[in-house]
Amino acid sequence: MAEGGAGRKQNMNLFQQFFNMRIGVVDLSASSAVIVPLEADQISSYIGGATLNRSLFHQYQDDPLVFGVGPLTGSFAPASSLLVATFYSPLFEKICHVPFMLRTGPDMKFSGIDFLVVKGAASELSLLYVDSGTVQIFPAGNLRKLPIPDITRALKRDFLPFQSAIVTGPAADHGILQATASVGARGSLDKAGLASRMAAKNLKAILFNGIGGLSFRTDNPDQGKELITRISAEKNFSHRGFTSILTKLDGGKAAGKHLRKLRKKNMACYHCPAQCMTHVEFIRQDASQGEGSIVKGGLLLLDHTGWMALAKKVGTHVLPLFHICLQSGLDPESVAQRLSDGGTMIEWLFAIEKMFPESGKAQIAESYRPTGEAPGKTHTLFGGGIAPIPPSDVWGKRVALSMILGICPLFLLLFPQISETDLLTFISQREDVLKTLEDRIPSLIQTLLAD
Amino acid sequence: MSEHVTMQEPSAEQDFSLNLDDLRPRPVEKRTFSGYFMPPRHSFVLFDPDKCTGCGTCEMICSTRNTEKVAPASASVKVVTDEKLGKNFTILCQHCRKPLCLPACPTRAIEKGNDGIVRINKLFCTECGLCTMACPAAAPLKDPGNQEIHKCDLCEGDPLCVRHCPEKALTFTRGKAFRWIKGLRWTIQLVSFLLLVIVFIGTFCYFKTGSVSFACPTGTLQNIASSGTIVLVSASSALALLILTILAGRLFCGWICPFGFVLDLVDKITPKKLGWPSFLKSRMTKYGVLAGAIGGSYALGFQAFCTICPIGTLCRSYGVQSFFKSAELAIVPALASLEIAQRRSWCRYFCPVGALLGITATLRLIKIVIGAKRCKKFSCIQCAEVCPVGIIEADQLREGISPKIPMTECIMCMRCIDRCPYDAAKIRFRWQKAVPGENRT
Repeated sequence: MAEGGAGRKQNMNLFQQFFNMRIGVVDLSASSAVIVPLEADQISSYIGGATLNRSLFHQYQDDPLVFGVGPLTGSFAPASSLLVATFYSPLFEKICHVPFMLRTGPDMKFSGIDFLVVKGAASELSLLYVDSGTVQIFPAGNLRKLPIPDITRALKRDFLPFQSAIVTGPAADHGILQATASVGARGSLDKAGLASRMAAKNLKAILFNGIGGLSFRTDNPDQGKELITRISAEKNFSHRGFTSILTKLDGGKAAGKHLRKLRKKNMACYHCPAQCMTHVEFIRQDASQGEGSIVKGGLLLLDHTGWMALAKKVGTHVLPLFHICLQSGLDPESVAQRLSDGGTMIEWLFAIEKMFPESGKAQIAESYRPTGEAPGKTHTLFGGGIAPIPPSDVWGKRVALSMILGICPLFLLLFPQISETDLLTFISQREDVLKTLEDRIPSLIQTLLAD
Repeated sequence: MSEHVTMQEPSAEQDFSLNLDDLRPRPVEKRTFSGYFMPPRHSFVLFDPDKCTGCGTCEMICSTRNTEKVAPASASVKVVTDEKLGKNFTILCQHCRKPLCLPACPTRAIEKGNDGIVRINKLFCTECGLCTMACPAAAPLKDPGNQEIHKCDLCEGDPLCVRHCPEKALTFTRGKAFRWIKGLRWTIQLVSFLLLVIVFIGTFCYFKTGSVSFACPTGTLQNIASSGTIVLVSASSALALLILTILAGRLFCGWICPFGFVLDLVDKITPKKLGWPSFLKSRMTKYGVLAGAIGGSYALGFQAFCTICPIGTLCRSYGVQSFFKSAELAIVPALASLEIAQRRSWCRYFCPVGALLGITATLRLIKIVIGAKRCKKFSCIQCAEVCPVGIIEADQLREGISPKIPMTECIMCMRCIDRCPYDAAKIRFRWQKAVPGENRT
């Protein structure tokens, strides 16, 4: 036991460079937010990310939402952009772990907390502001039923400074279960109903003001560069844009064709060498600016399965409909299920409008189940939005590993040559520590996958 | 050791208080003789927005140098993404040739080293943020946490952001190694001057050998106006210069004109310009001079302007044989002295030969384009500064707009192309719409 204790202490010191050692616990019912220390034992047992989220989910009863980061989130490890939201999915009726990428993970970590537990429900629409290791609750009634771009604009204009935001749109305000939480106005891979759970708690948004920092390990910058150089040099490093991911999926090639003639710019998440997102420009008519006036717009495509499902249903009209889904905070995959085959644009727009009832649950709530079941039930376990990139036999394990360590799951799926050890060396290069971690990780993965 | 140093006792009235000038002497711009001809080339970080994916690796790596931890908000570089247009920009100190932050700093904490790097001396910095306000790029970044000012110092010659950028969107460069156009132009100008002024005296106005003849087009027009007859041989002789202008713009003005060469030399010895009053700064004046020259010739019955034409007098009067023989000698220095007011003043506002070539240049086949998206904009604008006729709009460049260059005014000296370190200035056919940096998606 003494040896085990010493080992745990060593691990604690090891992980302290990777965490702020702070958990924000918010009770919306009582309008209170407290910071509790993240215990060394918790990190030693669960390492971080989804496994620690799961532990906190069970620790704090009352159906909480848990947001957390992994040890490598924000670090020099490539694609260290992950924030994991763990909650009970009303759609899948089980505990789910939804990944948020872009810069949400690092911004949460650099805002001074590692995990955020949201309990209870607020009496009025609220938002959480995380800054310098504190969590504050603010009213957000003025944001109700606004389109998501207007929400982010209003927050940037009128609110305190922040770097990243997880917001819900009008779909969540209307009580639609298939509403998705969005990272700013850019969408997300949430297909498990996080937005509807947030709406049930009267929580409109979570803002992270990530202006702090962590030391991580000082010898890591070059290690990260070496790993990126290594994978860049390999022949299969051809991941350039949203379309390149689509081509890896069944039926994705046809969906990718709708992007051909558009002006595109590939984008990447925090410290990621793979560009799996694409910003597309489009021109649309804007009646508010006067009759016949044309507005130049654009949106970021990051939901591969959503795009595929919608493209399959509506063909060339996919872009404007996808845009509407993003603006209203709706899952495009669920919308696709709602639309009729061979309909017209007007019919589809009418069908989307019908999804917004004046009160109560949306009509599609009961019938909808995500279609991307290829890698088995684990697909829904991780939110249902992560592209089922083959090989499917390791899909679950790779995603679970990424969810624990705080690395983008798409990145790990795209580069199967990156081993578990490659990533763990960012935590420590000492062989004994590595061995301990390598022994610990498989059981944690199994725990996650068992849900 | 034989030297004796006498120490004076300080008097009671003597003031020993230090002021800012004692601590931080005012920066003095040092200009060497060679600097006039070949300004020093310092390295800088060049950003390619087409390659940037907005991953923020530059921020995280930069912050480790500033704060010894990963704290992107404390970096000296900031990636800004326009979510609507999907464009990424970096806010990064460009180590301007004439930094605006430097005079803005009240404590003179900012200095530009001999290596071209603009640094903030933390000892003197009071974190007032005036440098951020003065910088057009807002490149000195205020740390939102501890309010410190962070500014890129190029990692003392090996920028980490450049080393770690996974997309190679940042490059560390010194720009072009050799400005060959400059050397070629000076050589051709010198050879033209020697040939037209010293060797073949007077041949610019009219020259004939065998069946080949050449004539000044403005002189020919005056000849036609004064004599009332069109001599086909003379008129066709004048076409050579006009055809050259159609093919290559006003290349004559920038590369061949001997008076232009004199003006360029005078410009080198009078770098400080007094400027023209605004009511005289009309480029249309030269067209009026052209019309006046033709009208005057018609009225007087002889080629009126040719008697005072600086190009003609230079070619006629300054040769070995005719030196000190003519009263025309005063014309060239008199008109060259206009250079004190503005570069190529004569060419900009008065030259009727340039006016005629300018009219012809409306039919030109080529043009010069400058792609503002490819350059450093406000922190460089070297193209606007070196343009001898001042037709490149620096304000447009500062706003990131590619300036439209009026080719009727452009003398095709190609200084902008030569000087631009980013290859943003190019020669294109007039029907080509592509602008450097704007044709890639």
